[in-house]
Amino acid sequence: MNTFTMHIPLFGAGLLLAGILSLQGCAAPEVKPDLLAPTEAQMKIRSLQTRSFDLTDRNAAIRGVIASLQDLGFIIERANEGLGLVTAARFAEPNYYDVVTITVTVRQETAGKMSFRANAIYNNKPIDDPKVYQNFFAALQRALFLSQESTPSS
Amino acid sequence: MIVEQPLSSRTLSRWLMPTALVGAALLSACTPYEMRHDNQSDARAQIWLSEESQVKVRAAQTRVFDTPDRHKMLQAIVTTLQDLNCKIDVLDEELGIVSAKKYVDLERPTFFDPSYILYRPDTLLFLTRNFRAWGPFYHRSDLVRLTVTVRDRNESQLIVRASVQFYLRAVEDPVPYQQFFRTLEQAVFLEGHAVD
Repeated sequence: MNTFTMHIPLFGAGLLLAGILSLQGCAAPEVKPDLLAPTEAQMKIRSLQTRSFDLTDRNAAIRGVIASLQDLGFIIERANEGLGLVTAARFAEPNYYDVVTITVTVRQETAGKMSFRANAIYNNKPIDDPKVYQNFFAALQRALFLSQESTPSS
Repeated sequence: MIVEQPLSSRTLSRWLMPTALVGAALLSACTPYEMRHDNQSDARAQIWLSEESQVKVRAAQTRVFDTPDRHKMLQAIVTTLQDLNCKIDVLDEELGIVSAKKYVDLERPTFFDPSYILYRPDTLLFLTRNFRAWGPFYHRSDLVRLTVTVRDRNESQLIVRASVQFYLRAVEDPVPYQQFFRTLEQAVFLEGHAVD
């Protein structure tokens, strides 16, 4: 019996083991019932994502959002004036293979007040760090040339 | 003179593991994207893909709201999608269409998978010197895509229909839709009811 024939049962055992290993976890995952339910974490950061500014011109507000996103190095993907929506994306520091996408909506709160809401997603995880949103709103405030204090909306 | 030895446990351990690992890499049924998905190249198969009754699915996907204000409804839909951490992809006010997507982490490689050495599991993009693509692939499978449409039912009512896709298949379970509409109702301060 040569060495090769001697090892055939071993190869067989190895392949069987490999088959068992590789067949694990191949089924498509079940749809979770809470697939479209908002998470508690999201409810908590909602107020951080929202801020109001004393503005009356809706168009200027949207242009301000676009300008601030450009200041932060984002590429605008979509802008809809009627519904006040801007989406943008950029590669994230320090690796530049991570992607940050942001969705900003502008809504008229009262006659002289605009409410801005920003949602940022890092790769596939929502960003819940308040600092990120503070930075964005600081940039937005600069872009809007506002000197008055902004107040986080409730 | 070479003396043939019987199979010792040393030889066994020396050969079994490498064969198993190489075999797992070759046979790895979880790695190729296609192997985990239905081949939908047959049109007849696509037509019969839906497992539930279309009427039932449509009823779960649809709600009637007592408001004629399309604009407000679209804004509420966008807010709801923001609450769900979705990224808005399509928005058409005239046609009343909002499409969005999000990723959910459900799948994990359950064992040592050589194809994942190339990526960090939390990134969507990998770059090498001569290859550039989006990955890792299991995140793509976890993609949730949804389209919400708004249309007028009569002068005082709107019909909102949401359709969701997950893992390249339409979601037919009514529970995710109920939850979506619950969030939407809170955003629009109205109660939606089923189509009569």
